[in-house]
Amino acid sequence: MATLAKPLARPHAEEHEDPRQYLMHDPLPRGQMNAMVMEAMHETNPIFWAITGVLAAIVLFALGYEWYILIMQGQGTAGVLRPDYWGVFLVNTVFWIGISHAGTFISAILRVLKIESRRPFTRAAELMTTFGLVQAGLSIFMHLGRVWLVYWMFPIPNERRIWPDFHSPLMWDLMAITTYLLCSTMYLFLPLIPDLAMARDRTKGGWLKQFYKILSIGFRGTEGEWKNLTTAMNIFAFAIIPVMFSVHTIVSWDFAMASRPGWSSTVFGPYFVIGALHSGMAAVAIVLFLLRSSMKHYKYFIRAEQFNTIGTLMLLVSMAWAYFYFNDYLVPWYGGDVWDKLVQEYTEKGPLAYLWYTMLIVNIAVPWATLWNKKWRETPWLLAIVGLLINVGMYLERYIIIPVGVTINRMPFTWRQYEPRIEIPMTIGTFALFLLLYMVASRLIPLIPVWEVQEGQEAHMIRKIGKAEISTLSDME
Amino acid sequence: MSEAITLLAMFKDIEPASEGIEKLQQLGLSDDDMNVISGIPVKHTILGRPSAITYVSRIGLFGAILGMFLGIFFIYGIPYLYPLLVGGQPIFPVPQGFIITFEMTMLGLMGFSFIGMFIDSGFPSYTPKEYTPEVSDGRIALLFSCPASEQEKFIDALKDAGAESVAPAEARHL
Repeated sequence: MATLAKPLARPHAEEHEDPRQYLMHDPLPRGQMNAMVMEAMHETNPIFWAITGVLAAIVLFALGYEWYILIMQGQGTAGVLRPDYWGVFLVNTVFWIGISHAGTFISAILRVLKIESRRPFTRAAELMTTFGLVQAGLSIFMHLGRVWLVYWMFPIPNERRIWPDFHSPLMWDLMAITTYLLCSTMYLFLPLIPDLAMARDRTKGGWLKQFYKILSIGFRGTEGEWKNLTTAMNIFAFAIIPVMFSVHTIVSWDFAMASRPGWSSTVFGPYFVIGALHSGMAAVAIVLFLLRSSMKHYKYFIRAEQFNTIGTLMLLVSMAWAYFYFNDYLVPWYGGDVWDKLVQEYTEKGPLAYLWYTMLIVNIAVPWATLWNKKWRETPWLLAIVGLLINVGMYLERYIIIPVGVTINRMPFTWRQYEPRIEIPMTIGTFALFLLLYMVASRLIPLIPVWEVQEGQEAHMIRKIGKAEISTLSDME
Repeated sequence: MSEAITLLAMFKDIEPASEGIEKLQQLGLSDDDMNVISGIPVKHTILGRPSAITYVSRIGLFGAILGMFLGIFFIYGIPYLYPLLVGGQPIFPVPQGFIITFEMTMLGLMGFSFIGMFIDSGFPSYTPKEYTPEVSDGRIALLFSCPASEQEKFIDALKDAGAESVAPAEARHL
């Protein structure tokens, strides 16, 4: 018998995917989903409280006692000295602002693009924005030293009868970070209102009932309320994207506007933005893994598809970061300016060269070697490890740019190797505070936007075309 | 005209709720006399209702303009009041002006959209309201007022449309 086709592959098991493996095609009654989220919030165990206690103790020590020492004894307790006036506190600032970009990226850009797998984890990412910015703000205050003089940066004349200079990149930074913090907090709150109303309806009494009652601001879900809420959310989703880009661009200008070798670069703006997304996306992977592992019922909401989405974005962002890094590296290398050359040589061959090589391996090689594979992307623990490594790499990148970069200047007699001192416990303090805030929030507010999940499930259906069941999406918004 | 009564009809799904709305419209009830309460936003065309009017965008736009002027004041007004020459740069630069103006415009836009959502929805409000917690569990509530003397006619019509219950609405603390 004649063969009419070229040899055909036998169907593999994975070709017959069950659409019900996706959250949008595996709906549960809304009441049941509400109950699951509320149960996850209110069921704690001794380990949770033990970790919370340890974190609170670290925060008290690092951000209470150590900061007190820093304020009372001055910046001399830190490792900053000429020429390294910018040390780990600013590394932390840039790092935490980077982390904060994930929330907006996930929540705003994926919302605008209608990426459906975003639905269950937008809030987890938005919380990272707010809590990340809190750490960034605190780190600036640590760097400031005399924190009680912060009002000199506010647009009011101070006792020296001068106003702040709005022509300075540092003032742009203040305005951009303040705008971003305020707007992202409002953007966190808006979609939270219906879930707070749900929590209010399901809480019987006590202070929690009052807490939800106050925060849900009397929301019922009338047509007018939904219209106003969704309109405001749409405005935020579009408007916060350029603000997000502006924030890290302006952070990069703190460096790029200075005529320093290694810093004065026209590509620093987009390079910093993509770096922020690189660390932010990686942090989302870690948070999702932790939430899925520790919160009851979260395996229903956070599935392989969510990790696949994050993993794919991490791979793309890693490629973009490599592209920008190479751009930023090649031009000064080719230009041959003696000071730029010195910076590059110090970075690659100096005593801290291992940081540079580690950064390149974990920021580029590791994600490229792992995230191309869908099965690996869908493995939560693996993605979390890759995310952790990327964050180590991105922290090193900021360390190389700031204290290492500032070491090599046009006055070789000032060169010295920066060694952080009190900065180390205080840095640990910011990480502890971030985790602590997240853990407290996980017991107080629904981390899963249940109404958004239900809205998505209402819009999805499975349609049989030929022999296959195909996922279809109706535009109900 | 007889006294009006406010009723709350509960539906399990969007489909019967839209049927119920159609029945009420057929019985001569104006769209202004009914409201739909739901746990997710439902497009007005799905329910066969006119779109709710919102002023959030307009309030947001007002905020954006206000923010823009505040930004312009910061970048040009302050150096006018207190000139501070730094690095030989001009007192009234154009490129830097865009940065602060942009940030303040966006802050104004989003801040006022947020406030606008509160103002337009009457939030925060802690007074008793017609509501049932079943809404946040996925039920659709249809709140409407009709002449008390004709309530049976409306109740029967809604039950025909698939309402699970139709009862006088009670204002309660949320």
